[in-house]
Amino acid sequence: MAAGAGAPHIAASIHRISFRSRIYGFGSIYGKTVRDSRLSLIIAAGLLGGLTLAMAAGVSKVFPTPADRLSIDALIGSIPSSMVNLFGKPVGLGTLGGYFTWKYGAIFAMGTALWSIMALSGTLAGEASRGSLDMVASAPFGKRRIALEKLAAHLTMLGLALAVLAFACVAGSRLFGDAALGDTIAPLSAVGFALWIGFIALFFGGLAFALAPILGRSGSAGVASALMVLLWIANGFDALAPLAIVSPFHWLAGHIALVGMYDWPALAFTGVMALVLLAIGVEAFARRDLGVTAGLSMPGLPAIVLGVRGSTSRAFGEQLPRAMSWGIGLGLMGALVAALVGTMASQLGKDPNLSSTFSAIFKGFNLTSAGGWLQLYVQLLLIAAGFGAATFVSKWASDEQDGRLEMILATPMARARWAVSGGIAALLAAVLMTALFAAGIGLGAASGGVAVGDAITGSAVLGLYAVAIVGIGVAVGGVWRTSIAAEIAAMVVLVTYLIDLVAPPLGLPDWVHQLALTAHLGQPMVGRWDPVGIVACLVIAVGGIAIGAWGMTRRDIV
Amino acid sequence: MTAVIRTEKLTKSYGSHRGIIDVDLEVQLGEVFGFLGPNGSGKTTTIRILLDLIRPTRGHAFVFDIESSANPAAIHQRIGYLPGEFTLYDRLTGGQTLEYFGNLRGGVDKAYQAQLIERFDLDPSRRFREYSKGNKQKVGLVAALQNKPELLLLDEPTSGLDPLVQQTFFTLLRESVKDGGTVFLSSHILSEVERSCDRVAIIREGRLVRVDRVDALRDLAHHQVEMRFAGEPPVAEFKKLAGVSDVTVENHLLRLRVLGPITPVVQAAARLSVTDFLSREPSLEETFLAQYGREAATEAPAEVK
Repeated sequence: MAAGAGAPHIAASIHRISFRSRIYGFGSIYGKTVRDSRLSLIIAAGLLGGLTLAMAAGVSKVFPTPADRLSIDALIGSIPSSMVNLFGKPVGLGTLGGYFTWKYGAIFAMGTALWSIMALSGTLAGEASRGSLDMVASAPFGKRRIALEKLAAHLTMLGLALAVLAFACVAGSRLFGDAALGDTIAPLSAVGFALWIGFIALFFGGLAFALAPILGRSGSAGVASALMVLLWIANGFDALAPLAIVSPFHWLAGHIALVGMYDWPALAFTGVMALVLLAIGVEAFARRDLGVTAGLSMPGLPAIVLGVRGSTSRAFGEQLPRAMSWGIGLGLMGALVAALVGTMASQLGKDPNLSSTFSAIFKGFNLTSAGGWLQLYVQLLLIAAGFGAATFVSKWASDEQDGRLEMILATPMARARWAVSGGIAALLAAVLMTALFAAGIGLGAASGGVAVGDAITGSAVLGLYAVAIVGIGVAVGGVWRTSIAAEIAAMVVLVTYLIDLVAPPLGLPDWVHQLALTAHLGQPMVGRWDPVGIVACLVIAVGGIAIGAWGMTRRDIV
Repeated sequence: MTAVIRTEKLTKSYGSHRGIIDVDLEVQLGEVFGFLGPNGSGKTTTIRILLDLIRPTRGHAFVFDIESSANPAAIHQRIGYLPGEFTLYDRLTGGQTLEYFGNLRGGVDKAYQAQLIERFDLDPSRRFREYSKGNKQKVGLVAALQNKPELLLLDEPTSGLDPLVQQTFFTLLRESVKDGGTVFLSSHILSEVERSCDRVAIIREGRLVRVDRVDALRDLAHHQVEMRFAGEPPVAEFKKLAGVSDVTVENHLLRLRVLGPITPVVQAAARLSVTDFLSREPSLEETFLAQYGREAATEAPAEVK
């Protein structure tokens, strides 16, 4: 024991903070935030760069000859306006850059925007709600600097991920493209494409950042994500056309950098708008009380749902807000899509050449029927339903992570019963989410003159997939530990999506594609159910909870 | 004397919820100042305003004569802070956490940091999430102390600490003050404040109800006196004395309570044939409960109306 630990105010030998630790490490808020984001960067850069390379390879396999490319080019001018607005102008579809932008550009932009939304909504608000921001904010610099350093760290990581994307565009076009067919992507085009994605991402990320000091993390992320989807759909849906004027997707419609079409003023305007939102976020953080948020008030829930008599009803009460959020979000999306697909199908059905070309692009989907279009969108929404299920797993796991489980297990409740009750509540949350989606898609189908029955029953496929993901998460949490249950569940969703996305265009062996659970779900929107997939989902759901309950009886409580 | 902390009519309301109301405080250089009150009385709100983590609805707060909302960075440069409730970074070790917070203040004297770690008997190699509640508190305390701040703002600092570590902590506080530092600590544990503080402010339902030296508070206490007489105790002699109440007799034993100075009772006892005299000095806790517990109890029926 050392007596007299030293006098205050007397700087003895103050440890010098290295430059390296200031930019990556514990030397500054910026350095620590960069360090904390390294896994996100690896995932984002891997996805953006890896998918770009995979798609570049895929396009050259699907459309290898000049004749194939010409048939794709024939799409120009004959694609329904709603699709043009949603996916962007079909310019140069016969080239790698044009095809890639049209088919995957919006998905890349929204995926990157989701990353920005999650990062920028949580970088300050998440830390504030946890309590660590109080200690950080007592450091000798103002709140503005804290916000700016956190922001700069995200901009750095976003910039690095986009640099990887730009490099992959250039490299992919040279490795897999055919220069004679105009596939070569110039560095300037790649940078323009990366900036297009980056500014859209920053716009919605900035929105989340601006709202976070007021609404907190989940509220700001929810509002920004919902607005992103709404403003994207507003481009292709006449009823929402007035909203398109505030949509960055609309502003940047003329910027198709990968085919050499640039709209730098629009890009700059989007960038400025993003900066304005980020500046509002910095000021709001600096001016408002730390950690004091208004939140989003949900409507009051019936006491029977929030009951405290039983563990299942209590757990379901905890899941209810997020189940409703996911369900309402998916339901709105479903309603808009279902109202749109009738027109799309009839327009495509009038032109046999066009429909055969679409069949080549979207293999396995009959896009001359409304059900085929709905099935195509449901395939896309499966990833959202999967992530929704992962958040239900996260809520179930929070009992142990937040220390509630110790108190619960101090009652006569057995560990297995807790796992089963929580698992059932998570399944019920998935069912509620699906029911709300079905209601939305049913309403949309009715308004669009599409068969309502198939649309509603077909929605069940989202629920089947979601309960399977819940089962996987509960099994991992029960057997291993709850701190990684939701992450593993989300990883399964992501890997499944990637296999489904990449395996067919890359011509990978069929068994690789069959690894994806989503490859076994049939096409229920057109009445084709796959009993194997249904049984597999239910077995995984029930079996996963049973395994989780068994695992809980065998391991230490953290 | 130089006021390190000064508040003027400091008020904070959270919409319809009460925060603090018209709090006037002065904490002088070199003192250990206790901020005492029950849970939810406004202690944390006051501290967070001093640090500009939240802004007052009305009134002003000054630390080192700098208004807290005007230049918080200048204040933060000179303070060490431990929040009442905190969760740090689960995936970082205790050592990495301390390194980070040290760096945020421009670097840290590694030797002093190591001494603190040793004195708190903290294992810095474990991840924060693996620590017990007490060890997490130790990490927070080292983070607050390691930069040798001029002012320590500590919100319920002994929460979760075992008695031995508490002793180490109070020793460190005394060393800090001896070397020119000032300490402002909040607590709802009276014995802790009694043991460590020079002055104490008592806050209840958002309002300061008393600010005084710990000794002065104790002087106000009801002394419990017991006197044994050879014969029948002269009850009337004592009943007539100022401040005496609750006089009871049990055989040759006289018990009474004295509010205020005990001298008249001692003088009276000296004139009489007392065989034994016992005066028990009340703890601050008893003082607090006697004075403010009674106030609360008497106010309770009014609230019912």
